[in-house]
Amino acid sequence: MISSGERELELLIGPQHPASGHMRLVAKVDGDVVVELRPNIGYVHRSVEKLAEVKKYLQIIPLVERPSLADTTANNLAYVMALEKLLGIEPPERAKYLRTLLAEINRIHSHLYGLGIHGVMIGSSTAYMWCFGDREPFLELAQELTGARLTYSYIIPGGVRRDLPAGLGERAERVLRYMENRMRDYFNLYFNNPVVRARLEGVGVLSRHDAINLGITGPNLRASGVAYDVRRAEPYAAYPELEFDIVTEEAGDSFARVMVRVREIVESMRIIRQVIRKIPEGPILHESYEKLIPPKLRESMKQRGMVKFPSVFANLRVPPGEAISRVEGGRGEVVFHIVSDGKLSPYRMRMVTPSFRNVILFEHLTRGVRVADIPAIYGSLDYFPPEADR
Amino acid sequence: MDILKLLFEPYIFIPLVFPGLVAAFLLLLIIIWLERKIAAKVQLRYGPLYVFKPLGGVIQTIADLLRYLFQEPIVPREADKLAFLMTPVFLFGLAYLPVVAVPISPTYYAFRSDVSLLIVMALTTLAPIFTVLMGWSSNNKFSLIGGVREGYLVISYEIPMFLSAISMAILYKSLDLVEIAEAQKGLWGVILNPLAAINMLLLMYMSTSKFPFEIPEAESEIVAGPYTEYSGIIYGLVMGASYVKLYVLSLVYSILFLGGWNPLPINDPMVAGAMLFVKAFLLVALGAFLRAVYPRFRIDQAISIGWKIAFPLSLISVVISLLLIMGGVSLVVK
Repeated sequence: MISSGERELELLIGPQHPASGHMRLVAKVDGDVVVELRPNIGYVHRSVEKLAEVKKYLQIIPLVERPSLADTTANNLAYVMALEKLLGIEPPERAKYLRTLLAEINRIHSHLYGLGIHGVMIGSSTAYMWCFGDREPFLELAQELTGARLTYSYIIPGGVRRDLPAGLGERAERVLRYMENRMRDYFNLYFNNPVVRARLEGVGVLSRHDAINLGITGPNLRASGVAYDVRRAEPYAAYPELEFDIVTEEAGDSFARVMVRVREIVESMRIIRQVIRKIPEGPILHESYEKLIPPKLRESMKQRGMVKFPSVFANLRVPPGEAISRVEGGRGEVVFHIVSDGKLSPYRMRMVTPSFRNVILFEHLTRGVRVADIPAIYGSLDYFPPEADR
Repeated sequence: MDILKLLFEPYIFIPLVFPGLVAAFLLLLIIIWLERKIAAKVQLRYGPLYVFKPLGGVIQTIADLLRYLFQEPIVPREADKLAFLMTPVFLFGLAYLPVVAVPISPTYYAFRSDVSLLIVMALTTLAPIFTVLMGWSSNNKFSLIGGVREGYLVISYEIPMFLSAISMAILYKSLDLVEIAEAQKGLWGVILNPLAAINMLLLMYMSTSKFPFEIPEAESEIVAGPYTEYSGIIYGLVMGASYVKLYVLSLVYSILFLGGWNPLPINDPMVAGAMLFVKAFLLVALGAFLRAVYPRFRIDQAISIGWKIAFPLSLISVVISLLLIMGGVSLVVK
């Protein structure tokens, strides 16, 4: 408690707190005003980078997915892209489109996850339930494509694991139309709700200048009016051939960050439609790898549209060298840096996640806000502790 | 037989059975279930279902109550034990105490007083003191903040709520709830002075921390506010208290604005009581429904709503009542 002469009360928000996530926020409050808020991270550090040094290259694919649970494709894709640079292979066109398709499905349900958590943080259990409920069609779509709900491990060196199932295009169209209808409900009940506006507008304003200087990434950066998106800055997969806009908002407050995510969902749906329309025919695995598969297996693989890795892949050796890759995930830019010394495991793997780059905002945005604004700002950042801790 | 007769004596029946303890308890069981069910309906879920499936899990609350009963109530070592354990009892008791002054028909009441409206309003103001005490005695920072929040809210809703009620008393020229209800045989209060009605409804939900004013126990900010350290049946009591308070205020609100037991098909106390109960129940259910619609305000926003919107509105509604009286609207039944 407070001793005499002291004005500030130190609040330990988390790690056992309904809205802290796997972290502790050390808040100093003066009355209802936050004087200082320091995030205390590292509670869910899983040493992914060190583990990668003793695992084989293919085993690392599921490993790097684990930290960012709602946004696994970004890590999967970034890691495999860096690996492909080292291996010097380029996936076939069809595989690139399939990668884009999964990345965009994942972006939508990752954004819905973030919006839902933010909803319950400011007290709207309806937004939470709706967002989590409406993730489901997208999860099922991804499941149909990859066989898994969250940790897809879909993207492999040289291609993807499975081909587009027959009829997925129509089902995807149905899901997208459903989501477009639901969007209206979201605006009526949640985004245009006067209480939501009162809680989010003008709260936690991040200026354009600060956003750039602090190295903020992803939707949080774009909400401050910076049109930076890796998909445009350094195109990968099928993005160069697709039309999409980079969503930006000018206000830089919590509501702008929410709106960027909402509008990105709409953009992602546009991309999914294009992918389904434009996807070329062809193999889904690089031909030099396809050749390694025994002929009988190769035939059945082609019929079923699924790739079963030949056993030689378990001991995939990567030429010495280093490679870096960047991917725009749901929460921001994911960077992978792999240093190979020609052995079975990478010599060093560096994984930079968007949440870790955005964690500085906790301290920056919360100076002088109200106690009740802490969850409103936290949620608007779509910060995911396991992803930051890795 | 004598015992049964004694039970139906108003001074026992009203506080203990209806609309008192038994009715409040039943309402509590139903409304908590209904709140979860309504929220589930909006949120595309089932809600409580498995305890007695044919009726959609209606006795889920009883199952929860049993669980609370058998859960160990943990008292923190550093808490002020007497205050910690006594406050839930006082809180629940005081939340339902005002019901003694509520009449359920023109002829059936525990006691009749010229100032029964004042008695009810005064008694409802006592419970928040214990919420503040609860926040203090738990010796927990979140509880403390929750208690202080409650204190801030009390001073911002209490005055306009009182003024809104008084504006109706001016209109009916009486502070007696029986006379107030009887005066609404024709037009209801909500039509005569809609401003006061809306204002009081808002403040009623604010005073019982319903959404969007669920501020003292805001989960994502301060865990459970004053109730953070409570567990077991004593938590059940504090959780029930705000519903019971809302129920009592809804009864008063129904008498002030919704015609009380009017329109009355047959002049029987139980029919009149049922009429009143249905109206109060709908008001409580509306409060439960708000959970599915609104997030919560920040404390400073709620306080400014209390002072900058509700307070002027309540003054205006007093003026409206005065103008109506001067304009010669005669409602007094004598």
